[in-house]
Order: sequence, then structure tokens, then C-alpha cells
Amino acid sequence: MALQLSREQGITLRGSAEILAEFFSFIINSILYQRGIYPSDTFTRVQKYGLTLLVTTDLELIKYLNNVLEQLKDCAPREKSQKAIQDEIHSITATVTFLPLLEVSCSFDLLIYTDKDLVVPEKWEELVPQFITSSEEVCLRSFTTTIHKVNSMVAYKIPVND
Amino acid sequence: MEDLGENTTVLSTLRSLNNFISQRVEGGSGLDISTSAPGSLQMQYQQSMQLEERAEQIRSKSHLIQVEREKMQMELSHKRARVELERAASTSARNYEREVDRNQELLTRIRQLQEREAGAEEKMQEQLERNRQCQQNLDAASKRLREKEDSLAQAGETINALKGRISELQWSVMDQEMRVKRLESEKQELQEQLDLQHKKWQEANQKIQELQASQEARADHEQQIKDLEQKLSLQEQDAAIVKNMKSELVRLPRLERELKQLREESTHLREMRETNGLLQEELEGLQRKLGRQEKMQETLVGLELENERLLAKLQSWERLDQTTGLSIRTPEDLSRFVVELQQRELALKDKNSAVTSSARGLEKARQQLQEELRQVSGQLLEERKKRETHEALARRLQKRVLLLTKERDGMRAILGSYDSELTPAEYSPQLTRRMREAEDMVQKVHSHSAEMEAQLSQALEELGGQKQRADMLEMELKMLKSQSSSAEQSFLFSREEVDTLRLKVEELEGERSRLEEEKRMLEAQLERRVLQGDYDQSRTKVLHMSLNPASVARQRLREDHSQLQAECERLRGLLRAMERGGTVPTDLEAAAANLPSSKEVAELKKQVESAELKNQRLKEVFQTKIQEFRKACYTLTGYQIDITTENQYRLTSLYAEHPGDCLIFKGGGGPTWTSSSWKPGVTTACSSLPQRANLPFVKMVPSAWRGIVALVRPCSPVLACGCFRKVGGGAGCGRSGWAETGPTWDCYGLERASKPPAVCSLCASL
Repeated sequence: MALQLSREQGITLRGSAEILAEFFSFIINSILYQRGIYPSDTFTRVQKYGLTLLVTTDLELIKYLNNVLEQLKDCAPREKSQKAIQDEIHSITATVTFLPLLEVSCSFDLLIYTDKDLVVPEKWEELVPQFITSSEEVCLRSFTTTIHKVNSMVAYKIPVND
Repeated sequence: MEDLGENTTVLSTLRSLNNFISQRVEGGSGLDISTSAPGSLQMQYQQSMQLEERAEQIRSKSHLIQVEREKMQMELSHKRARVELERAASTSARNYEREVDRNQELLTRIRQLQEREAGAEEKMQEQLERNRQCQQNLDAASKRLREKEDSLAQAGETINALKGRISELQWSVMDQEMRVKRLESEKQELQEQLDLQHKKWQEANQKIQELQASQEARADHEQQIKDLEQKLSLQEQDAAIVKNMKSELVRLPRLERELKQLREESTHLREMRETNGLLQEELEGLQRKLGRQEKMQETLVGLELENERLLAKLQSWERLDQTTGLSIRTPEDLSRFVVELQQRELALKDKNSAVTSSARGLEKARQQLQEELRQVSGQLLEERKKRETHEALARRLQKRVLLLTKERDGMRAILGSYDSELTPAEYSPQLTRRMREAEDMVQKVHSHSAEMEAQLSQALEELGGQKQRADMLEMELKMLKSQSSSAEQSFLFSREEVDTLRLKVEELEGERSRLEEEKRMLEAQLERRVLQGDYDQSRTKVLHMSLNPASVARQRLREDHSQLQAECERLRGLLRAMERGGTVPTDLEAAAANLPSSKEVAELKKQVESAELKNQRLKEVFQTKIQEFRKACYTLTGYQIDITTENQYRLTSLYAEHPGDCLIFKGGGGPTWTSSSWKPGVTTACSSLPQRANLPFVKMVPSAWRGIVALVRPCSPVLACGCFRKVGGGAGCGRSGWAETGPTWDCYGLERASKPPAVCSLCASL
């Protein structure tokens, strides 16, 4: 209720950061389910943004995602309308049509690109750039909000045909 | 019958009537033909009528009679029918009663039957229930049967498997038995060697004991030596100490003298120290004073210098009026002078500002005037241009007028000529045609000239414009030149510099465009790389959590890998231990215990253990038995058969002359036996075999020999003849032969030649 009110009045800093974190968590869960990183029976359905989305029930994974996304809440706020979020999720779902199958069992890691002069929190570490060689890029929907512009794209290694 | 008779009479009368009628008619007709009297006809007609009436009467009578008879018959029949009916009624009544009784009986029977039926149904249901129960029992039984069958089948399978294993174990038992035999023989040999070794060992022990005794003695001596050495060293030390003491004693008075001197010196030095301290304090005070004095001197020097400077300044200030030429004697004058100067300066500044403002105004006016001048000159040029154009136009028009007048004259001349030509002859169409042609030509010429004039005017206009521009530029250039000479800036552009600058500009433009393209390409590349995951390292950095699923998965993989390697190593060790077949080490046993212990493995282990136990028992039993047997054989027959190597057997005799006498046989286990060689000790015996009566080989007339001979003879008759000769022969004298020379023979165990199982078995088994 309070969140809705604030949305009507104008999104506050706190509310929008939570919206953003929630949005990213759902996006990540969708990607993990679609690419089969985790077995599909560890996912359960929830209703959000007017869609049926799948979220994981693995406790370790939930803990990891919460840790990562708490850092995001410190970043600048971004507003997104429900329609825009729906479009984003639809476009990510559509990537399954052209992304190559993952034949071996995989794991995943979340990387965050920040300003150089940001203080590195504890439990985080810095990396060298992770470059995908010989990759194919596909730009997904991008949209602007009142404050920011958000681009989304997917880059994947071109599958080598035997 | 009466009816029949009556009917027949009626019919007969009828028939006679008809016959009569027909006769009459025929006759009538015949008559008619013969007589043609109309009155006869009438008469005949009347006759016929009468006849007919009679016939009718007869008919009716007969009919009546008939009817009456019928009536009587009917009455009779009616009576009869009534009687019969009564009879029938009575019978039917009786039948009815009977039927009723029967019905009742039947009803009662029906009821009984229904009761029976009900009972039967109940029984049937009971039966059905019993049936169902039986069925269920049957099903259960069948299931049990099936289960039993399955279990039986499984048991059968297990039995088969176990049988197979049993057979395998039996094979292994047999192999082990063979091994045991071999080991036995090896053991015996080793025992012999062991005895030898034992003896050697005893000798060695003795020697060792002697050595030990000698060593002990040596050690005692050494100990004594050490003690003596120690004593010696101690004595030497004591001697050294004594020497030192002596020397020290010698030094003692000298030391006392030195001590006294040192004490005196020390007191002296103490006094010196005190004086030293006092002197140092004085020294420090003096040094401080000196420092202060020096500082004061420096300040003094500085002050003197300042003094001199100030004096010089004062003198210059005093001489100021002389230098400046102004009436300045005192500082007040100077200050007044300074004030005056400042005031003059302010005034001059005001003037300066006023002058600059006026200058600016003048400058502006000048610029305005210049612009006006430019405009005016531009107007002048325009006017000039207009004038020129007008003059040109005027000239053109004059030329045109001239041309037109010339044309007109020409046309007039042509017309005049045409007129002159026209009067003699009337060639009007020709003339009109010519006129039209001429007109066309004229029009063409006009148009052409108009075009040319238009082009010319355009060109002139352009030229005028260009000229105007050129004049304007020249004027501006002149003005700029004039401006530049008066103004502060001085641009000295030579043509060469302009050209070089133009070239430079072009080059720079080219480079700029190239750099722009490069920049565009680099930006595109950068975008692509950003999409691929690269980023600007000076402004951004990549973070991730230390504890992330990818690292956790990698860690798990490493752990699994190491675990698997450890398990692999452990299993390899276990395998090696088991291949060796010996004792499994305890740690590996523990590991083996960790392996999945299925029932089969446990069972197999039990079986193996039981088999091993059996094996062991069999071995022991066999050993004892065979030893007994061999002993018995040896004692009974006097011969011992040993296996030297594979397939080689050695026969030794208890009563041989030389202990080393033996026969060596090689055999293949079957009936083929060949004697390979004589042992050296036996050769002599061989040559004189027949004579030597004591040789048990020959002497023996045993069925045992027969057994051996029986074995040997079929394949190698040489052997039989050469080595073994029966003494006495015959089947019956075995015993007697024994009694002569052989050992005390007990009949126990010895068989006839026909059945030499003991020896055969001995040979075979050995």
C-alpha cells in the first residue's frame, strides 16, 4: 500500500531501489530456469507484473541472490513501469529461440560493473574483464524512463558445429 | 341308407325326366322336321308344359320327401347329439373334477417345489459363497504357488549358480591339491636343507659365542685402557694446575708492588678528575661569553653599516634639493611636492580618459564614414555599370537599327525586283511562296538575333557583376590596407604565405576527416566490445561476490576429483594386496569393509572360507594318509617311489647295496613309462643283474612287481626283460618268493597280479 501511494506521488529513492532489486531477481531466476542451469523441478511459480514467473526454491541460491541484490539497492534509483517490465521479461523469454543449447552442466556468476572509485564491500572481489571471444550479440528491447535509459542485450558464444 | 336311397330315387327320377325331355325334344325336333303342323307344335308344347308341370310336381314332392326325411334325420341326430352331449357333459364334469383334483395336487406340488426351490436357492447361494471363498482360497493358493514357484525358480537359479561355483571351487580345490603335493615335496627338500642349515647354524652359534667371549674380554681391556687414560689425563691436569700455582706464587710479590702503585695513581687521578670538572665548568662559562661577544660584534658591525647607509641616505635627502633643482630643504617640502605631483597625475588621468573617449568617438565616426564611403563607392560602381550597360544597350540598339534599315532596304530592293518581275508576268503563287520564304527567313534571323542579344546582355550583366565585385574587393582591400597602416595590427600577408597556409588548411581538413572516420570506427568497435563484455578500465571496474555459485561448483568439482583420486588409490592398493593373495593389511581391510557389502559378496566369502577350510582339512588328511601309505608301502615292499621333478619318478630300495641306488622313470601318467637312466650306483648292479641274487630288484617275486611289470610290459618289453626278471614266476608262488628273501611280509595289503591296485594306485597317485 505504501509503495503504491509513493508510486502515485512520485517514486522515492527507497521504493525504486527495492523495485529494481526485485525486478533483477525475477530476471535472473527466469534466465536460470530457461537455460537449464538448475533443474526445473527446483523452481516454483509466482504471480508478478501480471505474469506467471518461476523462482527457485534452492536456499543457497536465494541467499546468494539476496546478498548480491542488496548491493544494488545502494545504487541510483530507476523507475520502470509494469508494462516495461513485462516487455523486458517477454524479450528475455524469447531469447530461448535463438540461444544455443547448453549440453554440459553449467554454473553461473553475477558480475557488476561499477565506478572505479567505489569502495569494494567485504565478501566482494575485483575481477579482470571477462571477455566472450567469437560471440554473437543480439540487442533486446531498450526503453527510456523519466530518469534513465535502459538497454538490454544478450551475447553468446557462437556454437561450433561438428 | 334311406336317404341315399331316397336321393337316388329322386336323382333317378330327375334323370328319367331329363331323358324324357331330351327325347321329347329330339323327337319333337325330329317331328318338327318331319311334320310341320303348327297344331302339333302346340300340342307338343302343351304336352311339354304338362310334362314340365308334372316334373315340377314330382320334383317338389321329392323335395318334400327329402326335406321330411332330412327333418327326421335331424331330429334323430338331434336326439343323439343331446344324448351324446349329456354323456360328454358328464364326462367333462368328471374330467373337470379330475382336473380340479389334479390342479390341486399340482398346486400343492408347486408349493412344495417352490419351497424346495427356495431351499435350493439358499443352498445355491451358500454354495456360491463357498465357491467364492474357495475361489479366493484358490487365488491365494495360486499366488502362493506362484510365489513359491518364483522362489523355487530363484532357488534353482541360485542352485545353478552355486553349483557352478561349487564346480569352480572343486577345480580350484584340485588345483590346490596339486599345488599341495608339489609344496610337500619342496618342503621335504627344504627340510633337508634346513637340517643342514641348522647344523651350520649351530656351528656358527658356537663360533659366535667364542667371538662374543673374546669381544667381552676385549671390551674389558678397552675399559681398563680408558680408565687408565682418564687417570692419566687427570694427573696431567693436576700437574698443570700445580705449575700454574707455582708461577702464580712467584708472581705474587710483584703484584703486591703493582697494587700499591695503582692505588696511589688512583688517588691522584681522582684529584685530577675533580680539578678537571672545575676547569670544564670555567671553560663552558668562558665559551658562552665568547659566543655572546661574537654576536654582539656582529650586531655592532651590522649597526655600523646601517648607520653609514642611513647617513648616506640622509645626506642624499639633504642634497635632494641640489639634485632635483627644486626648493626642497625639509621633508615637508618633499611631501608637498609629492602631493602636487599626485594631483597633477590625477588631472592627467582625467584628461587621458577624456581623450580616449573622444578618440573612440572619432574612431566610430571614421568607421561610419568609411562605410558610407564604401556604400557610396558601391553606388558609384553600380551607376557606372548601369551607364556602361546603357551605353552598350544603346550601341546594340544602334546596330540593330542599322541592321533593320539594311534589311528594309534589302527587302525593298527585293520587292522592287519582284514588282519589276511581276509586271511582265503574273507568277503570283511563286511570288507569294518566295515572299513567305523571305518572311520566314526574316523571322528566323530576327529570332536568332534576339537570342544572341539576350545572350550578350546576360554575358554583359555577368561581366558587370563580376567587375562590381572586383571593384568592391579592391576598395575593401585598399581600405583595409589603409586601416592596417594606421591601426595597431600589422598583417603582412605575402602570397606565398597564403598559399602555404591554404595547403596546410587542406591537409588539416583531410586529416580531420580521416580522424573523424577513425573515431567513428573506434567508437563502433568500442560499442561492440562493450557488448561483448569489455569496459573502460579507467572509469569502471567489475565486481563479483567471492562466494558465488560458479566458484562453489568449481570447489565441489575439485573436492570430488580429489576424493575420487584417493578412492582410486585405495582401491588399487586393495587390488594389489588381494592379487598377492596374502594377508590383507588392516587399513585396506577396513577399506574393503567399506566397500558395498552385498549379500553375494558375504556369501561368496563364506563359501570361500568354507572351501579353504575344507581344503586345509583335505590337505592335512591327505598328508597324513599319504605318509602312512608311503610308509606302509615302503615297509611292505621295501621300495620307495619319489617324484623328483615333473613327470620323473625315482625308485629307491630299502635293501639296496648302495644308498644312492635308484631307478628313474619318466612317465606321462598313462601306461607309457620309460626308464630314462640308471643312477650311477646302479650300473654295476645292472650288468650283473641275473647273478646277483641279493638284489631285491631281481629277487622280488612279488605281485607288486607284477603290478609294475604289468604297467611297464605292455609298452616297453625291453624294460621288462632287462630289468625285471621274475623269479619263480607263476601266479601261485608269490608268497613263497617272499618268504625267501624279502622282508617279513604281512599278507595284508598285498594283492595278486590280476589286481594290483595298491601299487598302481601308488604309482598313479605319485
